Amino acid sequence: MAPIRDKFTIHSKAIVCQDVELKGDITIGSGTIVHPKATIFAVAGPIVIGSGCIIEESAIIVNRRKEVMRIGDDNLFEIGCRIEAPSIGFFNTFSTRSRVHHTVRIASFCVIGANCVLAPADDDTLSDYTVVYGPSAERRTWTGKGKIQEADLRRKHAEYLREMLPKFNRLRRGDGT
Amino acid sequence: MVSNVLYHCPCLSASSVPPPPHLESSGYSFHPLHTLFFCEECDAVRCNRCVSVEVSGYYCPNCLFEVPSASVRAEKNRCARNCFMCPNCRNTLSVVPSDPPDAGDGRLSAPISTVGEPPFFLYCNHCRWDSSEVGITFEKPTGLAAQLQKLEDYAPESLEFDRLKEHFEPILRASSLSSSSSVAPSISHSHHHSNPITAAASAALARDIPGVAKYTPHARSGRPSGKDRSANKDEMPEYKSRLDINHASTYGSGGGDVDVELMRRLEDVSEVASLEQRWNYSWSTSLETRDLKPLRIPLHSKRSKRCPACTHILIKPEQKAQSVRYKIKLVAANYLPAITVALPHQIEMLGHISAEAAKRSTKAPVDDDKDTRGGLQAGKTYPFHMSLTNPLYDPIQVRLSVQRMHVAAAVNSGEGGTIDKARRPPFAISIPTTPFSVAPFAEAWEYEDDEEMFGLDDDELEARLSGREKEPKPKSKTVGILEKRANVTVVGGEVALGKEARGEVKFNMLVAYTYRSDDPAPSEGHDISPSKKAALETKTFAFYTVVDLGNIIPKEEARADPYDV
Repeated sequence: MAPIRDKFTIHSKAIVCQDVELKGDITIGSGTIVHPKATIFAVAGPIVIGSGCIIEESAIIVNRRKEVMRIGDDNLFEIGCRIEAPSIGFFNTFSTRSRVHHTVRIASFCVIGANCVLAPADDDTLSDYTVVYGPSAERRTWTGKGKIQEADLRRKHAEYLREMLPKFNRLRRGDGT
Repeated sequence: MVSNVLYHCPCLSASSVPPPPHLESSGYSFHPLHTLFFCEECDAVRCNRCVSVEVSGYYCPNCLFEVPSASVRAEKNRCARNCFMCPNCRNTLSVVPSDPPDAGDGRLSAPISTVGEPPFFLYCNHCRWDSSEVGITFEKPTGLAAQLQKLEDYAPESLEFDRLKEHFEPILRASSLSSSSSVAPSISHSHHHSNPITAAASAALARDIPGVAKYTPHARSGRPSGKDRSANKDEMPEYKSRLDINHASTYGSGGGDVDVELMRRLEDVSEVASLEQRWNYSWSTSLETRDLKPLRIPLHSKRSKRCPACTHILIKPEQKAQSVRYKIKLVAANYLPAITVALPHQIEMLGHISAEAAKRSTKAPVDDDKDTRGGLQAGKTYPFHMSLTNPLYDPIQVRLSVQRMHVAAAVNSGEGGTIDKARRPPFAISIPTTPFSVAPFAEAWEYEDDEEMFGLDDDELEARLSGREKEPKPKSKTVGILEKRANVTVVGGEVALGKEARGEVKFNMLVAYTYRSDDPAPSEGHDISPSKKAALETKTFAFYTVVDLGNIIPKEEARADPYDV
């Protein structure tokens, strides 16, 4: 197995804490916030994360495939989630302890509920505005009502973190190691 | 295969001796200690089956508002404030304002006001359902129940129900007036109730319902009510419903042709509303998921429990909905010693397995070993430990005795006769029968020998887990008092299993303990001079328990093991 070469391209406006485990070829966009104790492993292929994303503690983002794993803008990865989806759109919410398998492609404005496991046997795509909830991961479609308020809330969340996190955590600076 | 001890509640039966445990029906009279209550007046154990329960208050589980019982009836057992239940996932709905007008470019043009803009609607945070899907929106964010009330009142089912009530009311009034003369003597004939609750219940049972035959113990009161009933039947006018039942289904009540049409064009199972989504409604609703409307949250009640014999309150919760404490809490765990039973060879077994599993990395089959070594094998003798914990502030003297089991002789002789006899497992129990004392309950720092206890515990635990011999205890003593520590006494017993034993090892045990009552000052420590006992009154209380040690592994299966690798 080829050794993983670390190559981090972190935007200057992104906030990545010192205690984050990064491995492989990772690109982080502007305004993204990575909390301490998060894990981003680009084991087999690179990971590209968009702008304005919030990755909370104990979140695990793994790419075990050769292709690039693209994550869009303004996504929220809550505590304890484990994401291996090859492509993610924007404004999605992955709730606490949710798990998304590498066979699922996720569009925009989706919500994966807490503790939901999305592991279909074959390739599946979640269309826009899908909500996954409940212990048996039932799905339904959201009408999209309230999305402007939620987008506003997400931006305020990110702004607040951008102010507060550097005051209490050490930040990882620069590219490379 | 955990061994446990269950307590017997006589449940007001005449005999206090419990049935032998090998009978199937005995399972219902034995309960774990944490579910039992104790009545101080009658000095008896009460269980959930024999206590009388009454409602002490109603509250909404969402807003925790205590609803006075008068409003409960008026609001039809639902919360009158803004508490609604999502019809999709049964989560609580929150009232949210609509989005501000979209400028169209996806970016915010103006800051969003904190109050929000009308129209408001209900929104579920969990499944993202919102009430605009069924067309319910509000102009103001408060007083939602009142706004929805108009909608509910004009539903076809409510109108129909009101019409039915109007139709039957004059008839009910007429029949109750005419039979009130016969009702009074029949109530006086029923047996005298000292309990107001059961008196009210029997009065409700004896009230006259037209169309239902009245239960009368005496013949002379039967005649007048019969005359009234026949008169009622002739006088009752025919009822005309508002809507024809065949067309009622089109108004959303389900049933009939509408359901057939739905099933014909069904594409996805999720279009049909599931049972959990539908059974909370007062009326039958249509089967489609998209027709489900938000419900007002049904109220929950707080219950208080009374002793059935003396109506003394055993459990009384606090009035506030959010507090989980109780004003009166007479639970059996505060009066009866807690007994637990453990089989030491099982504990050793588990210790072995966990220690070996930690050392090994490969998974070796340990299940067979666990069953045979950790279980009870026929033909062997096993010691077991029983620990008694004293909850009282006085020391108690406990005496245990095993109830003699009347194992009847095998009824069916012939084929399988000897096997049947062995099914009622012949096992012999020996436990210490001399009375022993258990120290009173006191705070942890008041026990003198605490510090050495903690050091010894770790060493003893290690010794037990690795199977080494324990030095301070002589190995020969298995029956008798093993240990006294804080307010716990551990006694050991032995169970000898017969060669052909099968089934479960369960035996009834009578526990009798004496304690001093009406002690003016709480005792501290466990060194009370015995001379004081004579001055104060000593009370004895006895209760039955059933001790379950687990299943016996019969000899044939055990013999097959040497042939397995």
